[in-house]
Formats: sequence, C-alpha cells, structure tokens
Amino acid sequence: MLDRAHNAVISMDERGLVTYWNPSAEGMFGIESERAAGRPVAELIIPERFRAAHVAGLERFLADGTGPLLGRRVEMAALRCDGSEFPVEMTISAIRDGPGWTFTTFVQDISARRAAERERERLVEELQQALTGSERRFEAIVGRLSDPVTIRDRSDRITYANRAALVHLGFATTEELRRTPPAEIMRDYIVSREDGGAVAMDAIPSVRLLRGEAPEPLLIRTVHRRSGQERWNLLKASPLLDEAGQVESTIMVIEDVTEQKRAERRSEFLAEASRALASSLDYQRTLQTVAELAVPHIADWCAVDLVDRDGDRVSVSVAHVDPDKLRLADELRAYEPARPDPAQGLGLVLRTGEALLYPEITEQMISGAAVDGRHLELLRAVGFRSAAVVPITLGERVLGAMTLVSAESGRTLDRSDLELAEQVGARAAVAIENARIYSERSQIAHTLQQSLLPEELPDVPGYELASAYIPAFEYTEVGGDFYDVWQARGQWMLAVGDVTGKGVEAATLTSLVRHTLRATSDFLSSPAELLAQLDATLKRQRRRSVCTAICARVEPDGVTLAVGGHPLPLRVHPSGAEQAGEFGPLLGAFDEVDWQDRHVELPPGDTLVFFTDGVTDALRDDGERYGLERLRGALARCGEDTAAQVVATVTAAVEAFQAGEHADDTAVLALHRRPDHEHGDGAADEI
Amino acid sequence: MVRPTRFEITQKVSRSTVTLSLLGELDMSTVPQLSDRVRHQLRDGANELTLDLRELAFMDSSGLRLLIELFDDSRRDGWTLRLIAPRHEAATLVLRATGADVALPFQTPPTS
Repeated sequence: MLDRAHNAVISMDERGLVTYWNPSAEGMFGIESERAAGRPVAELIIPERFRAAHVAGLERFLADGTGPLLGRRVEMAALRCDGSEFPVEMTISAIRDGPGWTFTTFVQDISARRAAERERERLVEELQQALTGSERRFEAIVGRLSDPVTIRDRSDRITYANRAALVHLGFATTEELRRTPPAEIMRDYIVSREDGGAVAMDAIPSVRLLRGEAPEPLLIRTVHRRSGQERWNLLKASPLLDEAGQVESTIMVIEDVTEQKRAERRSEFLAEASRALASSLDYQRTLQTVAELAVPHIADWCAVDLVDRDGDRVSVSVAHVDPDKLRLADELRAYEPARPDPAQGLGLVLRTGEALLYPEITEQMISGAAVDGRHLELLRAVGFRSAAVVPITLGERVLGAMTLVSAESGRTLDRSDLELAEQVGARAAVAIENARIYSERSQIAHTLQQSLLPEELPDVPGYELASAYIPAFEYTEVGGDFYDVWQARGQWMLAVGDVTGKGVEAATLTSLVRHTLRATSDFLSSPAELLAQLDATLKRQRRRSVCTAICARVEPDGVTLAVGGHPLPLRVHPSGAEQAGEFGPLLGAFDEVDWQDRHVELPPGDTLVFFTDGVTDALRDDGERYGLERLRGALARCGEDTAAQVVATVTAAVEAFQAGEHADDTAVLALHRRPDHEHGDGAADEI
Repeated sequence: MVRPTRFEITQKVSRSTVTLSLLGELDMSTVPQLSDRVRHQLRDGANELTLDLRELAFMDSSGLRLLIELFDDSRRDGWTLRLIAPRHEAATLVLRATGADVALPFQTPPTS
C-alpha cells in the first residue's frame, strides 16, 4: 500500500538498517529495493559529513528516548547513488514494533521547488529594473513568468495582468479583467486563510503597500466553487515608486504553492497520525485521535468503522470540527445497517479490501441512497461534495475502513488524498493488531501465572500468612517470581524464589522448581538439603537453568531456613527490622557449593518478610533504587502488625516510590507469628 | 513506560584481546546492549575478553545471569573471560549474595 506514495518512504530498524524501501525511493536515490534492504540508511542516502550526527541521534533516541527531529518537517541534503547531493524535505516517525523501534521517513525531493524559487527571485529583480525601461522589454520579461503577475494603481485597480494571471483568474484579455469588479472575480472562489478564517481586504499585501506598510507574503487557500479544485497561493507585493518616492503602483506576484502546501499537510498528518497510533494500545481512542487529526486539513469529515467477529460493522469514531455537525452524524448513523450494502461504498470496501474514490457526489447518488424523506434531508444537510473510502487491512484480512468526506469546504478529493488515507489505514491496521495480540498474550500470561502460584495460602497453626504478587508493567509474559507453602511429613514448608527470565521458559522452570521442592520434601526435611537437591536437578537441565530460592521449615518458635542466592528475609519486631539467615550460593549455577540451615527465632508478634529483588530494585524517575534500607525503614514502623498489614505496607511503599509501573515482577510473602493469646486450640499438636 | 537506565560501554581492542569497561547500571534494560556488544566482539574473532566492572553503579539478577552465561560460553567455546570486580556496593551486592564473587573468574574477588 505504501508503494504507491509519491514520497520516498524508507523504514529502518534500531540498527539503522533498511527494512522498507518503496519504489519512489528507488527512483529518487537510484537504488533498487533489493539492494537497499538490510544496508545502513546512513551509507545509502546521508552525505558523509552528516553520518556521525545521524548515528549519534539514533543512539541517543535508543538510550533516552529524545528525538528532536521526530515528527517535524526537516530540510536537509540527501545523497544519490552516483554521489550527487540534492535538497529534500523529510519527516521521520518512530513506531514501537514488537520489542524494538522502527523508524519511517517520508522524503520529498525539493530540488525543483528550490530551483523555481531562485528563478522567480531573479525574474522579479529583472522586472523591477525593466519597469523603468521600455514597454516592450517589460512585457517580454513578465510574459516569461509562469506565475500570475498583476499591476495595480493607487486605487487598487488592475492596470496590467500577464498571461498566467489571466489564465489563473479565468479571463481572455486584460481589458475584460479590468472591466470586472474585484468582488465579482472573487465570487467564484471560497477564499480562506491557512487557519480557515476569512481573508480581510486590508490584509492583502498590495493594499497594505498602498497604506505605506511593508507587508509579509500572505498565504491563502482558494477553492473554486464550480470545480471544487483547491489551490494554495502565496501573494507577494512589491512597490513601484514615482520620482517623489511615493508608491505609484504595486506589482503582485501570485505564487502557486499548492503542491508544496498539500505535501506539507499530508506529511504532518501522517507523522501525527503515526505517532498517535504508536502511542497507546487503546486503539479505539487512538483511532478517534487519528480521525480528529484528519479534519479539517485533509477532509471535512472523517469516520472509522471496524468489522467485529460476526462481520458486523462497528463505528469507532467520527470527527468533524463542528459539534452541531456531529449530532447530524449520530442521527444519520441510525439509518446505517450493521451490514452495509456489499455492492457499493463502505460495504464494497469492507468486502473487497479495495479503496474507493468518489470525486463528485451527485444529487442523484444522494437521492438514490436515501431510504426515506428524513434520511434524504439529513444527507443533504451534510452537503456531500466528494468522498474517499479506504480499507484497513492486515494481509488479506479487512479489519475495517476509514471514510473521508469533503463537504462545506467545497473541495474535491483526489488520488493523492486517497493514497494518504491508505497510508494511515495501513498504520491503523498494525496498531489494531498489536493491541489485539497484546491483550491476548496478557490474558494467557495472567492465566499461566495464576497456575504457578498457590490459589490460596493455607492455615498454618500459630501463624498468619499473607502474600502479594505484582506483575511487571509489560504484562504479556509470565514472570519468574514465585512462592509456595505446602505440608510435607507433617510439617509446613515454604519457598520463595526467582527464576531470572521470562515467558514460557520461566514458567516451565518455575513449575520444575516448585515440584522438585515439594517432591523432595517427602524424603528430606532439611531446607539446605532440599536446595542441594534442587541445585542438582537444575544442573541436569539441558539449558543453563539458574534460580534463587529460600526454603524454610516452619517450627513452633520460628523457622529453619536455607538461602540460595536470594535476598535475605527481614524479621520485623517491635523495635525494627533486621536481615535473618545467611547467604548461600545461587542454585543451578556453580560447581562444588553447599548450603547451610539456619534457625531464625520468631517471638510471638514478630513477622518474617520474604521478598524478591523486584522490591529492592524498584526504580524511581530519577534513577534511584528503592533498596534494602528504605524497605527496612518501612518495615521498622510495622511493629506487631498482622501479616496482611505488613504485606500491604511493603507494596504501598514500593508503589509510592516508583510512582509508575513495575519494571519487574515483585513477590512478597509474610509469615507472622500470632501473639500467644491468639493461639488456636490444639495448634501445638499439629505442628 | 519504564525509564531507560544510564549505561555506557567503552571498548579497548588490542589484537584478539578486548576490554569492555562498563559505566552505569547493568539491569534488565541494559543487559541486551552488553550481550550484543560481547557477541559482536566474539564474532569478530576476540579470544580474550575482559569485562571491567569497576565503574558499574548497580547490577541486578539479569546482569548476573549474563555473566554466568558468558562464563559458560567461554568454557564451552574455548575463549577466556576475565572480570574486574565492581567497586560500588550496589553492584557487588548481587555477586556476594549469590556466591558469584568466588565462582566467577574475578581477577581479585569483590569486597564489601
């Protein structure tokens, strides 16, 4: 779809290597797509003296996300394959693509525009000199100018118009033009400023010159009422002084900047729409943003419809600058069937996946589409002039369509509008698909994660247990943190650990670790020996499999535990919080290592808090880590709080510190020894 | 979005001996950078690799995991890995907590 763009479109990956190179790029740079693919963009199109800056800019973006060139139109020099340089205008956008970034650049060759600017400046200069010379020489020069030129006297009456001006304004002779009042000439056009506002007579450069001001060129947009053709003109006026130095006449040059202006608006819209689509996984909201970006610069109306699982049309967004008109759209929508007519318009696009352009919407087409009188009234109220419907497709699948309608602006839509809409449609498809994949993966990850954690914590006599598991922000993969509490040989055992890694691999390994500890505990009761067995099991795995874990056996007066490369638990007591136990080696990692059992006494009311490094490694905006000391500080204030209160304190403190999403998963397990008076009946017998 | 951490690698190559000096934080967001750089050097024919961790301000379990994998690779593929111990507490913590301080090929063991 991108292949039909007039602009060269080039995409590169994070390493700066070409991943997409459209046919226009082949023509512009003289390099075929197959030869460009996989090569560094810097070597292909960037003049040598700018390459270092390009590489540095890319690295900086990847390091800290700043990209001063992104989303803006930038003029610079580009390199052809023969080594020659030429001026270009480009817009670069960055899109998150799976795990990495893709950078897409729209490049427009502006050599012709630059050459025309130089030529025009030279001719106007010659013209001003010639006006002091003979009439014939004057006509010879002005006649050569391809831009319309008019000369007006002190009362702003046209005294001269060159050939181009006559064609531009639609007159055969200067005489005819002279006889026509200015208001009548303008009647055929809708004239507005760039921001859509009306053009005041006293803002016209020639009028300002006559008032003695030094006017800036004025940019105006004209739409011919009959043909719907839109043009952008830059009005420039220069004075012609009499001998006394007074303004005698004004020369006005009307420069046609339509192509430039439209290319500019298109690349701005594309860049902004791409940015909006890449910014969030909430595609319904981003599609609304895209529709809003399209009005009024690209069209007067923009609507996006998607097809749901049953093949029914779901209207996602409609945008118009005027809220009254949006109410009209709501009423019109009631007339639209869920399955639009597959033989025409939206229905046809959804069925075939081919874009449709209706340059001219006739009264006949409108009355043919109306189902009743009220419908016809509404359709007429919209004032349809022209429409384009483009598919949003992913491979062969049509996900929906985007409709652009031109109405009150009076302008007709053309092929270039259609191509622009197709490019936005292609990006929208990727955004929708990414969002769908993300939500599916996130759902699967959630289900799998649940299966790796105990459904609920058991009642351990004399103790209270509480836990929290906070998944990482990018919650599309199973994390590696786990905890478990189980009974073996009449004793309660617990484990907390972290199998560094993510996804299926982490899930498999977590499952292996839990089952190994549970199965081995039927024969062994020493936590240190359990870790040694686990270490041996991990070393038998084909792939290097390492994990950290604490294994503990719950006893009436505390726990006996062994630590395998895991952060030590903190014992919370009325006067503070201290590390308990002793570090031992990481599991599955090193040769000739062993583990030690340590007894940790828990007086009534004390709590032993196990946690994973997601707690202490939590990162704040300024780069500061939460760290052990902050955790100790937070826990020191817990006194004789219950396990649930202690866990809530830890998660609240970490969340407040991070002031954002968790980068890593985080698990907390608290074992609180009930104060003596809370002891349940017969609890001691069970332990 | 998770904020990218500050991390820099400076590189010194003399024949087939490569020294990579790490500055900043080695965590799950910067591990891929180091991993890519090391594998690139190995592809280019390096057979002695020194990782200078002296200026490393922080290392997490994913950083440690990478060091373990590199040590595995070096023994399997027959190249030499040398490690220069970090000086900063937040970088040595994970090494001491896991026994990596004695098990990995540090020229002088990390101290607290």
